[in-house]
Amino acid sequence: MKSIDHFFRRYILSSIGILVLFFVINLFLIGTILLTIYFNDAKDSSFPMESFSKLIKEENGTVTTDPQVQSILEQADAWAMLLNGEGTVIWQNDLPEELPRSYSISDVAAFSRWYLQDYPVKIWNYPEGLLVVGFQPGTAVQYHISVKTNYLPFLFCGGIILLIINVGFMIFLFLRNTRKVEKAMKPILAGIKKLSQGEILHLEEKGELSEINTSLNNVSAYLSKKDNTRAEWIRGISHDIRTPLSMILGYSSEIEDRTGLPDDVKKQAGIIRKQGEKLRTLISDLNLTTKLEYSMQPIRIQPFNPYELVRQVISEFFNNGLSSIYEVTVSETTSNASKTIYGDIALLYRMLHNLIHNSITHNPEGCQITVSVEIDDSACIFHIVDTGNGINEPYLELLNHNASIPSSQNICGDTEHGLGLKIVRQIVALHQGKIFFSNIAPHGLCVEIHIPINP
Amino acid sequence: MKDKSILIVDDETGLLEMLQSIFERAGYTNITTATSGRTALKIFREHTPDMVILDVMMPGMDGFTVLKEIRKISTVPVLMLTARGEADDKFSGFENGADDYLVKPFLSKELLLRVQAILNRAYPEKERIVHLAASTVNLDKAKVYRGEEIFSLTAKEFTLFEKLFENAGRIVTTGSLCETVCGEIWEGYENTLVTHIRHLREKIESNPSKPVSLLNVKGLGYRLIVKERNNEIN
Repeated sequence: MKSIDHFFRRYILSSIGILVLFFVINLFLIGTILLTIYFNDAKDSSFPMESFSKLIKEENGTVTTDPQVQSILEQADAWAMLLNGEGTVIWQNDLPEELPRSYSISDVAAFSRWYLQDYPVKIWNYPEGLLVVGFQPGTAVQYHISVKTNYLPFLFCGGIILLIINVGFMIFLFLRNTRKVEKAMKPILAGIKKLSQGEILHLEEKGELSEINTSLNNVSAYLSKKDNTRAEWIRGISHDIRTPLSMILGYSSEIEDRTGLPDDVKKQAGIIRKQGEKLRTLISDLNLTTKLEYSMQPIRIQPFNPYELVRQVISEFFNNGLSSIYEVTVSETTSNASKTIYGDIALLYRMLHNLIHNSITHNPEGCQITVSVEIDDSACIFHIVDTGNGINEPYLELLNHNASIPSSQNICGDTEHGLGLKIVRQIVALHQGKIFFSNIAPHGLCVEIHIPINP
Repeated sequence: MKDKSILIVDDETGLLEMLQSIFERAGYTNITTATSGRTALKIFREHTPDMVILDVMMPGMDGFTVLKEIRKISTVPVLMLTARGEADDKFSGFENGADDYLVKPFLSKELLLRVQAILNRAYPEKERIVHLAASTVNLDKAKVYRGEEIFSLTAKEFTLFEKLFENAGRIVTTGSLCETVCGEIWEGYENTLVTHIRHLREKIESNPSKPVSLLNVKGLGYRLIVKERNNEIN
């Protein structure tokens, strides 16, 4: 779930970044446009009224114009007129016919702010008169804005506040939407993660994404059904095999022990019994590994003494007639000999048993096996060290990288299915522990297991 | 013990035949079989066997139900012999009053040893005498006879010896012995155990510093070597 949180955090930050970038780019663009307008005389005030007025002179009621006047007006597609103090046109150039030749004060006041019959106009104070330049309708926009001076700071601050409120509201809406998406997506993403870990999930089938939830629930139900079918099949098969196998074991040992039978018959019966016993172990391993894999094995955590557990496992080997070519010893540090840890005793017993059994099976010529226990503040560390043949490097790599364990052959040529070590890894994982396999010099294998004191 | 009557119940007739053969070859003379729970209960009421070996999964009445019915009228030892090996199944068996629980497939030797142990516990002979290399121990009187000398075993020494004797020839771990003497919480009791063992050796061994009957298995525990076992009155 950390990665999901990280993803959404990054998503929010990058989106806020995009928003800021958006504003900066817009400010830049607006600035660029305004500057372009200014420098390209695009603004309507670019008509040079002051210099233009200087080209028209009036003396004693007679108006004289510079020859440039005509060309300037033509270039701007404009007309011009000069009004005297009474509002009468005393000079004009291209003045449209429909426009009056005389204006009252109110007419002048009206067109100086707005339009003169749809013609946008510009005016310029002239000695004893008014110079008016008019442009074609639709070529410029004129608005008159009048604001009281004391409202200007309010307008300025209001504008900034409005901008901030807008940005804030935009961010709020954006975060809200992101949270909404996150809320809807999180269970789905968590569900997918659960599915990838083989866990069963059930999501609520409501909301806009209910279809995805339904699909995920269906996938989970399908996988669960498949797992259960497989587990039940293995359970059923192993159960049905138990009674016939009991008879194989029973009759073969009876033939093996019966007096008066030829030696080769007894030997063959012995082989049947031994193979039957291997089959018995295989069934037991298959059952346990299936139960551990599909979380069907209830874990019973209780306090126990790890030294005593090691003693019991080793004693069982001796009590069951371990060949004298094997020497199994326990090495314990007396400082912690009375310390108890927590775990599933039966499973940890099986774990140690499998590892010692593994050393015995793979070293038929005999070896020394030493089991040691150390307890520190956080973990109980078991070392199972043998002086046998060790493991080849590729196989060691597989074991240490939690890869699936392939079948192998021991020195006697018997096939080993690797279930024993798989069970060991499953039991270690169930206790949130760690396991490391390594070869030791000059030859031999060391298995190191860390089991947390309180798993 | 071999004359004790044993009722074996299993719906697999092939397995029943094999079990009967195993027990008869081992010297048991009074074996009865039943292929269903109802027949088993009928035989049980009529003949009251000394021990019952009971399968769990049977058509009609299952083994646990048969066990419950038996426990209503008798405390006869019952060994459950079943293909159901789950921990919960075992707990159900013991909760219903089973004396032991053996999961199929089993080794015939293991079955015989378990039955022998159950019968020994359920029907003890008048006196239990254990012959060791240098001494003889009377478990019923808790006394050790070594030459002309007679030693009494203390309660803890007796409990220890009995535990070792029940597992004669096998290693009994330090923890198991400590648990036998002082219960489940035995940590820190190892040194006291060594003292008890030393006192026991002083009574049963001719040379306690070089024991030949009560041996220490380095790092694991102790093993009792029995010279001869005699359940009859000497």
